[in-house]
Amino acid sequence: MVVGLSAAERRYLTDGIAQGLRNDGRGLYDFRAFSVELAIIPQANGSARVRLGATDVITSVKAELGRPQASRPSQGRVEINIECSSTAAPQFEGRGGEDLSLELSRALYRSLLCNNGTGPAIDLSALTVIEGKLCWNLFIDGLVLSSDGNLLDVLAIAVKAALSNTGIPKVEVTSAAAAEQEADFEISDNPDDFSGFDVSHVPVIITLTKVGRTYIVDATEEEESQMSSAISIAVNSAGHVCGITKRGGAGLDPSVLLDMISVAKEVSKSLLSTVDAEIMAAESRGDDQM
Amino acid sequence: MEDVSSRGLHFQLSDSQRNRLRKSRELLREAPGNYHPSAFVNIADPIHVENEATVLKGHGTQVLDGQLLATLSGVVERVDQLVTVKPLRCRYNAETGDVVVGRITEVGTKRWKVDINFRQDVHLMLSAVNLPGGIQRRRTVIDELNMRSLFEENDLISAEVQSVHSDGSVHLHTRSLKYGKLTNGQLVKVPPYLVKRLKQHFHNLKSCAVDMIIGCNGYIWICAAVDSLPSNPEIEKITGDSGAPEMDSCNESISLKVRENICRLANSIRVLSALGFLIYPDTIIDTFDASISKGVAIKDMLGAEFLVMIAEREASRRTKNNYML
Amino acid sequence: MALEFISPEGLRLDGRRPAEIRQLRANLGVIDKADGSATFEMGNTKVIAAVYGPHEVQNRSQQLLDQALVKCEYSMANFSTGDRRRKQKGDRRSVEISLVIRQSMEAAIMTHLLPRTQIDIFVHVLQADGGTRSACINAASLALADAGIPMRDIVASCASGYLNNTPLLDLNYLEDSGGGPDVTIALLPKLDKITLLQMDAKLPLEMFEKVFELGNKGCVAIANYMRNVLLENTKDLAFARGVVKV
Repeated sequence: MVVGLSAAERRYLTDGIAQGLRNDGRGLYDFRAFSVELAIIPQANGSARVRLGATDVITSVKAELGRPQASRPSQGRVEINIECSSTAAPQFEGRGGEDLSLELSRALYRSLLCNNGTGPAIDLSALTVIEGKLCWNLFIDGLVLSSDGNLLDVLAIAVKAALSNTGIPKVEVTSAAAAEQEADFEISDNPDDFSGFDVSHVPVIITLTKVGRTYIVDATEEEESQMSSAISIAVNSAGHVCGITKRGGAGLDPSVLLDMISVAKEVSKSLLSTVDAEIMAAESRGDDQM
Repeated sequence: MEDVSSRGLHFQLSDSQRNRLRKSRELLREAPGNYHPSAFVNIADPIHVENEATVLKGHGTQVLDGQLLATLSGVVERVDQLVTVKPLRCRYNAETGDVVVGRITEVGTKRWKVDINFRQDVHLMLSAVNLPGGIQRRRTVIDELNMRSLFEENDLISAEVQSVHSDGSVHLHTRSLKYGKLTNGQLVKVPPYLVKRLKQHFHNLKSCAVDMIIGCNGYIWICAAVDSLPSNPEIEKITGDSGAPEMDSCNESISLKVRENICRLANSIRVLSALGFLIYPDTIIDTFDASISKGVAIKDMLGAEFLVMIAEREASRRTKNNYML
Repeated sequence: MALEFISPEGLRLDGRRPAEIRQLRANLGVIDKADGSATFEMGNTKVIAAVYGPHEVQNRSQQLLDQALVKCEYSMANFSTGDRRRKQKGDRRSVEISLVIRQSMEAAIMTHLLPRTQIDIFVHVLQADGGTRSACINAASLALADAGIPMRDIVASCASGYLNNTPLLDLNYLEDSGGGPDVTIALLPKLDKITLLQMDAKLPLEMFEKVFELGNKGCVAIANYMRNVLLENTKDLAFARGVVKV
């Protein structure tokens, strides 16, 4: 997205960052406050809405039964798809938002799943119903309603929240089937029979945006317009790096790269605890309303 | 359930914070000297007038079957025989004499086009700016070709609305030394209905070494005061004349202290805007002082606690003084 | 085996009476960057609308010298329907509904007051359970009012149908797929003028009148709800700001 800034504003912004004070008073590694809402799409198996600054995204998880891949008979499949709504900016009208949508989808897929879906974030073997025959396929969809920078990080938070909200119904296999035949099964309607997801391994993504010689976390749209390059690093609660994406034309010195990764790991600790706290608070709010 | 506490800032409030905010909003509703319920109208609601034929129908009204109806959801204003409906949230409505802050969107033949949050981009004619050197002279072809050396695309300028034409087009001018290109600061955008039209729109806050321009169009410019910059004292605020060397010297490094003041003021404005309170120097400085006296870090000014605190301050002020702004 | 849409006690599948609309919920100002925005819910159908404008026309060749250019785009989120499917933007149904919404709003917007400008209306369906067309029109109406764009009247829309020999108001997805007719109406309530009328399937003329009247009543009820939402919003903003002495 093009944000027009005058030369004077650009200079002011970059000088501020170099001095450690951003336009809204944040330090280099401060995240903006955000709010999480769960079960925003009741028809889905799980959903969440995350608002951070003016960025607003909705994610949903839908589970459908299907056949597992022949090469991976004991695992379910996960697909991630992000769409940028035109409500976010008139530039997204028609096919305007396609490039960005695709970029976000691929980056999320890489960070959360990787290796054709065998990544550690989601336990895919938990999605198996009958090995080789029946498994759950998860479709994770994200919709960007409004954007003020840092879409990838916010989407990752929203995916984690939606997964924590996801309930997979219990499947009763009613007839043991021979190797070639289809199995008969019944899907439970009882909400108490729904099994949840363990999201403790789902990573968060920290995007470090390089402006001049300094890198900042959680860049606004204005700040992103001045970046030379950006690295998005997915880190999970064990401190493992799950995926890295680099954007932007400028090259990065390898030592700078390593430093950025270690900064991301540091920041991820506090972000993970904030995200977990927000999700828990959202869950208890939801329970209160029952 | 949505917890949209305010426009522009999103976070979850704790239960006690939510209650405090709700209480403040209730106090504001009941504050004395407030709107009469009959002042609010919806689209296609009838507006009560004594004689429909003699009344002047201003913006936001339409006549249907001899009845005066509203075309907007807002507040009815009556000045003598003129009846208008003022919507609250809407694009800026330009009026002659308004001081505005705008962004150049296009450099055209003998004129620039400027975005001032109006329903169209407005015009700034080459003949309406002060040429470098300050002398009045005819604009030559060289001037036309050199327009970009005055203002380029995306530059921010302060200007005054010179005229509003019947076909809806608006012309600006910068024919005064106080208007021109803006440097050394940041822009904050607020909804225009929160900006009060005052005699002065240029404010110098000496104690903070900061200048502020509150544009009637909701664009507010906050920058380091010219005399606080450690640069050549001969450089005064010139309208236009720029080029790379000029730019750099005008943008000398601003000290961290001044930068913090600019940030704090910007955040004060953002909080007021999120709460929907009127924005003018008194409220801005009051919020600024409150943040310092309560020891609130600049980044925490955009957090839940400070937001609720400012709401409570405003509520108590309005109920106490029968505060009519 | 035909599904019983009305029980012997006269209750529909979700427990409503034939002439009852689903629960309505609306919020204004949900997208900070837009000039106006709103969400609108009718039962489980949820849509969000954003309005950008009036602003400078992006494509000079499309500029209209005597009125505003109104553009509208309708999309459905991938997760909006029960069976998740990749929604192609720009497929025929979306284009048709975009056109329908634009025409309904154009009838209400006083475009001649805003010559040489452009108004963009974007609607996105978050959850679809029947009546998405109507919900979108209602959301767009509120978003336009939130943006302070002058209108002759609010546009309110509702769908009605005919199943098991009974006229039904505000069909949900199951009732919509029940094979009966589906009549969508958009109304300017104060002016009492129809800006949209669409119907699928067959219906004898006498029945059509009853279904049409029912739809009309639904639109009026929805319009009243929308007026309340707008009034409350105006009051909130006005009381927060306070009275400005001129």
